[in-house]
Amino acid sequence: MYYFYIIVSVGGRIGFGICQDYFKRNHDYVSHSGDIVDFVYLFGGIRNHSKSLEKTVKQDWADKVWRIDDWETEWLEKTVTLEEFYQYISQILKERPFLKLKLIAQNYNCTQGQLD
Amino acid sequence: MSFKLKYQAVPKKPNPMVQINPLKKGTEKIVNLQDRVDKLNNSSAWKKTVKAWKATGKKFDLDRIPKFGNFKLGRTGIAEDIQRALDEKHCANKIGNPALFDPALLQPIQCILTSKGEMLSVNSQHTASTIAGLIDAGLVNGHTDWKEFEYPFWYLETDDLAFARRAFGIHNGKGSKPQSEYQKLRNAIFVVRLDKDTSDPKEVALEKKVATAEKYKCFPVEEKSNLANYPGTFTNISTFETLNVDEISVSCAWHNKYFHYETVHVSLFFIFREICRQFKSAKIKITPKLEEELAALVQSLFGNLAQFQESVKEAHRRWTEKRYGYQANWDDDAYSCALVQLYQKFGGTEKVALTLLDQFDGLIDFFDEDILNLA
Repeated sequence: MYYFYIIVSVGGRIGFGICQDYFKRNHDYVSHSGDIVDFVYLFGGIRNHSKSLEKTVKQDWADKVWRIDDWETEWLEKTVTLEEFYQYISQILKERPFLKLKLIAQNYNCTQGQLD
Repeated sequence: MSFKLKYQAVPKKPNPMVQINPLKKGTEKIVNLQDRVDKLNNSSAWKKTVKAWKATGKKFDLDRIPKFGNFKLGRTGIAEDIQRALDEKHCANKIGNPALFDPALLQPIQCILTSKGEMLSVNSQHTASTIAGLIDAGLVNGHTDWKEFEYPFWYLETDDLAFARRAFGIHNGKGSKPQSEYQKLRNAIFVVRLDKDTSDPKEVALEKKVATAEKYKCFPVEEKSNLANYPGTFTNISTFETLNVDEISVSCAWHNKYFHYETVHVSLFFIFREICRQFKSAKIKITPKLEEELAALVQSLFGNLAQFQESVKEAHRRWTEKRYGYQANWDDDAYSCALVQLYQKFGGTEKVALTLLDQFDGLIDFFDEDILNLA
């Protein structure tokens, strides 16, 4: 199982990523940000599909990636709303049913431990 | 056993590139230098440079701009410690080639003028040698002595040989911005399409390849440009150029039919170049059924070709380590072999070239278990 997540930073910025261990990844975010941060949406599925979705998102949102000079961060510009981004992900998964990724949790953070 | 995977159509949307395609007819746009100055002033890299100049107190020294004048070719000296050895074939086959030579393309000779009155070339020794050689061969009307022939020189008065050495490095690649593969392609396409000049068969052949790709809504674009995120675009021009028109047709038609919502991944060209060539020598037809089932395989197991590439490279790494005990270099043929071998593993029954099954024996066993378990 591999995971694709949508995260909201403490400052309200939208980010996304993929991981093999959602607990550890969320734990790392909490550790770096000094606060609880949620994976607002957590999808699970086969590794290739999670990675493929991430590649598509990176391409489609290339002009909305938050940049500091030439450094491309893994966050989006603050003008991007959670609703807009989630709607986009939902639309992609609807139009591309071959990407076998299921929404397995909402508002997950590491205080919840491993999901059932 | 029948093929287990089904291709699932993705809704087709109008591709903006059909209208935007910069190779279609050019922009006919001419901007003034102010446009470029504005672009620089808006660039963070340029702002940092200006800041660095101010911090060091440096100013543009106008006295260092080289001077321009006509001098006799006979004055040209070539410091062999600075210049490379003369490449006679470059003079004969490139600059002096009668099919290519055009005086309008000649550049001034760049040199330093020392306090002893020597003119030492820092660039253009091949141009100077070719012109002198042509005069010597009696090919320049009204001139028999190349030493007396006056030619434009661009020179700096200095005795500083370190400057001359650095200048040679800069003029010969070290400091110049090379043309990208896309810019070279665009020039060739515009010569044929805009200037209607079809005198160069290579340019005509290239235009035909691009036109074939465009027919299937596939478009070469500049690497890292904003256009490179549109569906159907590709940036690996040099690989594209290695395919013939038929191979481009098969590749791009497949992409447009099954992956019209994606950018063109470079592995597409490697895969179909190899499949076309191997099937052709085996006298096997690439059937519509095979094309659809290969698309179903890529879609179901990997999502897209970009992910296929990542997976096959990882499988290849594991395979070489297991087989040879070290990580062997990547081989582009592994794309088509892995794809066809996975096709058979998943129950594909269409006839395939056996050469694609022989190479990289056992490679597919090194793909991730979660996809192999789907078989």
